Amino acid sequence: MNGKELLLSALKGNETSRPAWLPFVGCHGGFLIGKTATEYLQSADLLIEGLKKAKELYRPDGLPVMFDLQIEAEILGCRLHWADEVPPAVVSHPLAEGKQIVDLPTLDETKGRFPIVVQALETLKKEIGSDTALYGLICGPFTLALHLLGNDIFLDMYDEEEEVLRVIEACADICIQSADIYLKHGADVIAVVDPMTSQISPDHFEQFVTPAMNRVYDYIRAKGGLSSIFVCGDVTRNLEVMVKTNADCISVDEQIDMAKLRELCAAENKSFGGNIKLTAVLLLGDENDAKMEVLSILEQSGNKGFILAPGCDLPYAVPAKNIQAVAEMVHDEYVREAAKTLTAKTADAFDDIHLPNYEAANTVLIDVITLDSTSCAPCQYMMEAVQKAAEVAKPICYINEHKIKVRQGIGMMVKLGVKNLPTICINGEVKFASIIPDQKTLVAAIEAAAGK
Amino acid sequence: MARNEELFNAILKGKRKDVAALVQAEVDAGTNVGSILMESMIPAMREIGARFPRNEVYVPEMLIAARAMQAGLDIVDPLLTKSGHKSLGKVAIGTVKGDLHDIGKNLVAMMVKGAGYEVMDLGVDCDIAKYEEAVTNGAQVVMLSALLTTTMPYMKEVVSHFKDKGSPVKILIGGAPITQEYADEIGADGYSSDANQAVASVEKVLAD
Repeated sequence: MNGKELLLSALKGNETSRPAWLPFVGCHGGFLIGKTATEYLQSADLLIEGLKKAKELYRPDGLPVMFDLQIEAEILGCRLHWADEVPPAVVSHPLAEGKQIVDLPTLDETKGRFPIVVQALETLKKEIGSDTALYGLICGPFTLALHLLGNDIFLDMYDEEEEVLRVIEACADICIQSADIYLKHGADVIAVVDPMTSQISPDHFEQFVTPAMNRVYDYIRAKGGLSSIFVCGDVTRNLEVMVKTNADCISVDEQIDMAKLRELCAAENKSFGGNIKLTAVLLLGDENDAKMEVLSILEQSGNKGFILAPGCDLPYAVPAKNIQAVAEMVHDEYVREAAKTLTAKTADAFDDIHLPNYEAANTVLIDVITLDSTSCAPCQYMMEAVQKAAEVAKPICYINEHKIKVRQGIGMMVKLGVKNLPTICINGEVKFASIIPDQKTLVAAIEAAAGK
Repeated sequence: MARNEELFNAILKGKRKDVAALVQAEVDAGTNVGSILMESMIPAMREIGARFPRNEVYVPEMLIAARAMQAGLDIVDPLLTKSGHKSLGKVAIGTVKGDLHDIGKNLVAMMVKGAGYEVMDLGVDCDIAKYEEAVTNGAQVVMLSALLTTTMPYMKEVVSHFKDKGSPVKILIGGAPITQEYADEIGADGYSSDANQAVASVEKVLAD
């Protein structure tokens, strides 16, 4: 099963052998190739280049083609304000300026930036589509209605209920047209992104949003596609009503309790995704913060019908190394195991665990940090390599295996500064991390240590 | 006067016509205008503000309550001015340069106004000159809002600008990506995670 198959399987609610991984590379794709968001989000060639770079760096199972909720609004006549490091913002609202829904331009794949989206989608489908699920993101009906009406929509929900419902239904028609374009050109999943629904009550969600959204999800399903709802922001109170929509998957932001969402989704046979913290962890934190965050999310979310993703669109200048750390967690079970020691480190100073006096020893001391050489294949091969090399090498060697399944092992790992599993330390220094050296190299390293 | 429950509830429910009629009835009955504001109207806004972080009300409910409050203030304000009543303080608020988001900023402005402060709404995309002008016009507190991680750093520039010149103005910050740690890091005088807490922050920095 390749990454795309694994992600689609998770989306359908199945158990997966490792977490499915969907980094929301939006304008961050421009950052990866040294272009501004303005340049990146208006060029098929740059989108292709940025997403291929993301594919190479982040080893994702799925990617969004264009993370920009203003594509439809722009075609419908909203003016956009472009910026270097964020997607464009809508600055005019045609329905607030006297226009009626019937006056607005129609939407099809020749309009606005859809030709760019289609070209990028078709090319990516050929070049990385065999093992990457491509997501077509559409602006959800409520957020699109807000783009068209402006903030007055919130008051109009009380003052002019019927009119707001009419606009949202018209927006659902537009969502269906957008979804159609994406599906026709090969998108695997349609994500209905509707962040502004985080600002309304569950009652309002059910009254104004659910019927419109369900028409979109039902259409996608009838066309053989898969659907997901993405809502950035705190939707704690709206989780129940979101889970009850007809979407196949529910993707949420960092404020959400994943254990609770997991329970709700299990009851409705839906998959779910999220919710790595964007600012505190991915933007401002380091690789270890990213790993600890992922570990905590995985523990809460389990391995059934779960897709690991950031809470929302990745910030433009998020350090690539932090997203790569997430990718390591996804692809390497030993990195996931090792991450447990990072959490342990903050909880336990291991004051009672002391390193031997390597300087004073008249033999070579080799510490091998493993998960457990009897159950982890790379750990077993590393231990065997060390034992063989120790037999051949001239100096006398003492070999200690430290299994991180027990506290003593975690303590040694922390004290030796080991970050990967398995790792060979010689006389207290990390020498071979995650790599099993050939015998000649290992023997040479042991002899060099003895010569010191 | 004790709290006028009918007026209090009309604001909570966002019934602007009822609010205007109830306030007018109190005024006509000769009730002290300051008492109408302080005992019935402001407590209603505080109550709605307290319900927001508990997810008992959402943005639409806050907005209609604030609009109903305004319908009452339209009657009360001129009378207060005439009687020499002073606002609790002058507060300027604006979304920082490069950021065009205003829903959060508007909610905070309404809550602070509803709490009895004079609010100068500077709008969105505000540069240092705009905040400076507000301070020249008497703002004792400047509130900076940002939704984007990319516009957050401008808050630091604004804070440094005022601190470097030794201005006594207090600076409060808020918005989705903002944390208390960030506020401490850039030397802001306070941070609020929601519109209700923003009122408490204003009260606190003005009392200091």
